[in-house]
Amino acid sequence: MSSTDKAIRQAVQAGFDLSLLEVSLALTLEERVRQHDAALELVTALRSAGRQLHAKPRTPPAKAR
Amino acid sequence: MQSLGRLLQKLADSGVDFVVVGGFAGVLHGSTLVTRDVDLCAVLTAESVQRLRICLRDLHPRHRMTSRKLSFLDHPTAGSKLKNLYLETDWGTVDILTKIAGLGDFARVRAQAMEIDLFDRKIRVLSLEDLIQAKEALGREKDLLAVKELRAIAAKSRTKQA
Repeated sequence: MSSTDKAIRQAVQAGFDLSLLEVSLALTLEERVRQHDAALELVTALRSAGRQLHAKPRTPPAKAR
Repeated sequence: MQSLGRLLQKLADSGVDFVVVGGFAGVLHGSTLVTRDVDLCAVLTAESVQRLRICLRDLHPRHRMTSRKLSFLDHPTAGSKLKNLYLETDWGTVDILTKIAGLGDFARVRAQAMEIDLFDRKIRVLSLEDLIQAKEALGREKDLLAVKELRAIAAKSRTKQA
């Protein structure tokens, strides 16, 4: 097996989607940066939503009787 | 709003000589992995720190590793020797390192870096081979995972050139 084939096989085994990599490599440098910024924005929004989802509900103040 | 692309453009206009390293260098080489910061290698002289302060002053730069998030505009005081800077800004996080694991100091990193045209600016980026070497030297699981993709990128590049 050539070193090229080995590198590709190891990336696939590690879980990388080669079709996504092909798409990324076909982009211009500017497009890669813009696409990355968009992905980071999404990751940040998802993390924020996750934090809200798992945040402990506030205990309502006890009512005076 | 966070934008590492805009942050990098702003830093490129600062006049500080730097090389893009780390995950963002991977992005420029075509990696699909998302990174949360821009890592740069530079020499942190009094002059370059001053240039960075002027460049970042509108973005509220603060030392993200300090508990009180001290402002980079006030700390450290002039004349302090700096090894690295770990900053948080309104546009995202930027780490400025004077040495890169597995490679060496700025002179070594810059010597093998490639110059690219990005948003009408000339920007130096760590070569793919050096990026692989640096990530292997770090040896963390996430770096070794990134190396697998970077090796695939290098392999595809070789195939394309052949």
